[in-house]
Amino acid sequence: MAYEALDFYDIDALLTEEERMVRDMVRDWVDKEVIPNIEEACREGVFPDKWRVDLGEMGILGAPLKGYGCPGLSYIAYGLICQELERGDSGVRSFASVQGSLAMYPIWDFGSEEQKNHYLPGMATGELIGCFGLTEPDYGSNPGDMITRAEDKGDHYLLNGAKMWITNGTTADLAVVWAKLDGVIRGFIVEKDDPGFSAPEMTGKHSLKASVTSELVFQDCQIPKDRILPGVKGLKGPFSCLNNARYGISWGAVGAAQSCFDSAKEYALSRIQFGHPIASFQLIQNKLSWMLREITKAQLLAYHLGNKKDDGTWIPEQISLAKMNNVDIALEIARMSRDIHGANGILDEYPVMRHMANLESVKTYEGTHDIHNLILGRHITGIQSFTREP
Amino acid sequence: MAIGVLLKQVPDTTAKIGVSEGRVDETAVSKWSMSPYDEYALESALRLKEAGGEDVVAITCGPTRAAKMLTDAAAVGVDSLLHVLVDDLSALDSTQVQSILAAALGRADCDVVFCGKQAADTNAGSTGPGVALLLGASCVSHVSEVSPDGGGYLALRASTGGDERVQVSAPCIFAFDKGDEELRRPNVRGIMMAKKKAIETISPSDLGVSLDNSRVTVVSHTPPPEKPPGQKFEGAESVATVVGKLRDEANVI
Amino acid sequence: MDVTVIADSTADGLNPVTAQLVGAASSIGGTTTVLCPGGVGSSQASAISGVAKVISVEGDCFGTFEGGAWANALNSLATGELILAAASPRGRDIAASLAAIRKIPVIQDVTGLEAGMVVTRPIYSGKAIETSNVSTPCVITLRANAFDDAPEGGSADVGTVNQSADVGLAVKEALAKASERLDVTEADIIISGGRGMGDPSNFSHLNEVADIIGAAVGASRAAVDTWDEIPHSMQVGQTGKTVTPSLYIAVGISGAIQHLAGMKTSKYIVAINKDPDAPIFGVADYGIVATWEDALPVLKSELAKL
Repeated sequence: MAYEALDFYDIDALLTEEERMVRDMVRDWVDKEVIPNIEEACREGVFPDKWRVDLGEMGILGAPLKGYGCPGLSYIAYGLICQELERGDSGVRSFASVQGSLAMYPIWDFGSEEQKNHYLPGMATGELIGCFGLTEPDYGSNPGDMITRAEDKGDHYLLNGAKMWITNGTTADLAVVWAKLDGVIRGFIVEKDDPGFSAPEMTGKHSLKASVTSELVFQDCQIPKDRILPGVKGLKGPFSCLNNARYGISWGAVGAAQSCFDSAKEYALSRIQFGHPIASFQLIQNKLSWMLREITKAQLLAYHLGNKKDDGTWIPEQISLAKMNNVDIALEIARMSRDIHGANGILDEYPVMRHMANLESVKTYEGTHDIHNLILGRHITGIQSFTREP
Repeated sequence: MAIGVLLKQVPDTTAKIGVSEGRVDETAVSKWSMSPYDEYALESALRLKEAGGEDVVAITCGPTRAAKMLTDAAAVGVDSLLHVLVDDLSALDSTQVQSILAAALGRADCDVVFCGKQAADTNAGSTGPGVALLLGASCVSHVSEVSPDGGGYLALRASTGGDERVQVSAPCIFAFDKGDEELRRPNVRGIMMAKKKAIETISPSDLGVSLDNSRVTVVSHTPPPEKPPGQKFEGAESVATVVGKLRDEANVI
Repeated sequence: MDVTVIADSTADGLNPVTAQLVGAASSIGGTTTVLCPGGVGSSQASAISGVAKVISVEGDCFGTFEGGAWANALNSLATGELILAAASPRGRDIAASLAAIRKIPVIQDVTGLEAGMVVTRPIYSGKAIETSNVSTPCVITLRANAFDDAPEGGSADVGTVNQSADVGLAVKEALAKASERLDVTEADIIISGGRGMGDPSNFSHLNEVADIIGAAVGASRAAVDTWDEIPHSMQVGQTGKTVTPSLYIAVGISGAIQHLAGMKTSKYIVAINKDPDAPIFGVADYGIVATWEDALPVLKSELAKL
């Protein structure tokens, strides 16, 4: 059945033809390749390599970046791509987010000309996979206190430390790693075969099961001097990356929510209890109505934010609000959808429990829900409440 | 010379079709798509080009909305696009549509033509054979595969007793059934190129085709008759009754 | 009104639809001449009641099928105000070609025909019905089994005419019909089994029925989960394939909501189940309360008779 997306306020009409074509291309791919195979991928805990190849062939990796073989699409188009991918599964969107916003973007914005030419074309085609090392076992919301260190050894840098919760880590060809050099956070490109570098996979997740999550371990890891990103110093570097990824998540969450809504609506119309479809009962209609309302608001937030990204008038706090809100409502919609499905909702016959478990991760990664609240709190009051120090 | 592909935009086969005031309500169609058999024809045409053939020209006859389908075709590699603008195709009879398409193929200088065996809206199947007659071309119908063969072509077609591989030379038309190769997925680069590709939009009179009065007048569209409520029979001996109903009532076997 | 009927045949003789074409012609008061391409079935045609004349059209061009060539060979004999052919693959091809040669309209796949040339036909795969007026002369193809057969009992004269036409294509190789089983997503008819089949080896009975009517064989999730022999590719339902065939036959499937989600939009549903209260009967157009062991042999023999 051709997928008909919930689009109550006709946002489709606001898109350019190019944006619609890109969206439809990804939508069809998700219908044909992701949805029929996602449960198996989750059971086996793998991200199928064919998906990497397909994403590269479609040419959507690093969507909004221009030049160096990158697609050069609008931020709206990038958002639509995230929305469609996450309608399939948050793990697929995570793959694209990490590759594009967290690995390609810092090289594109802060890398040397040589680094850009060397890495970006292969990353855009999916032949090179990247990951992003910021979070550490003991430093999540507080990355500024990271432990990972880089030392200048004259003809090379020496890295020591560990990163955790790294999407694509084990399968990546390169990692953009943030480490302190003389007390200042800098970005380094670490390649998978660099001596002293390993990326063991983390197992036992109940969430994002079709996504590879890893630790990055640096034990006297030697990298050449030309692997430092020359263009940025301090937390501004990783935070710039996160802004783009969070923006993509605000669209992706809409996709997951749409999937849960669609499943709930379909189920409610076909499930008969007390002699009638449960969709005819007021409490069910109330839930569906709430879902429609929240999805529509989330779509408008994402779309408007996309326009601001495209014309450059955005501020990071606006991204925080969209990420926080859209993931929050998507998670609530997933739970509500599970509720409408009754016991059937826990089965992998339906996508809702998988989306729900995924969204628990999405709520936490790329700035937790609460951290985004604090970012907005500081924006409103001018008083930061992250730390106890003045 | 060029390879021509005749494409028709139709309501997606999964879309609901509603009838309002005696006509199918086109404004209520949620999604318009390239007719499925045309997709197989297009893929085969692109493969013929890649095997050393001429450029591919996509031609459609239809209203303004059909331009989107041509852009989609450009995104997967069609070289040029010709749109004969006709607001209401259902007002034309088969001879009129075929005259337009034959003239368009002549204008685009096509001697090898690909099309679907029938469009998913009318399900008729008149276009391939009819246009072939007008062009003095051979039409091979129910084709699933075409490959170059010396100066001509080899086509795999379904026949009454099984499949047949037939040889044919230009000028010829291949009317496609479902092929083995699905239409390729576009990519961002193709979409960017498609956006820049101009669609040549012309009217039937630009082709020298004058549309006299159609000899077919649509009186009405109606929803299909309601199915009778489910019937339940007891015992295996009722199977014969059910088979009879499937043949005569449901007309599905 | 003079009606030309193009006989629909295979090498073995006339297809039953030919008698329906004659029946439809008679119902609107036509005087019918039947053209038999390649001379196939002319004596059968002469025995159809209501046929005024049969012309056995012979010629080398009928050795290989090419709609355009056959139409050229038939054209000078197809003089009726109305030309009727079957909406079979060949019939449609010949009809469209004849219409193009004669510069007259063609209407394909008609299911209703009235004098004054009011025709009805399904459009959008049967999601709507179109009624239109066609001026004569015209060519119309009729859907098989939509019209009553003309009875036997005729004794029309059979004439023979030799015709020639250029054939532009040559058969290089005839391939046996692919024996590969259809995928459920492609099939127009599907027969599916559930856990009620008792044992995966019993799916062979479904295969036998499928072979007779060119159907694909599907399965419920319960069957796929229970038996390794039944692959996931056969699964119809929420996590399997969503199918919309013209005919779906569910055998030994109770009709869990997840199965119904994958097949309930089929045009016609037949359910065979021994439990009269099985939910599958709630969506079935034709329900048969019987064991599959009893029902399938009858189904096989009845379908083989068609």
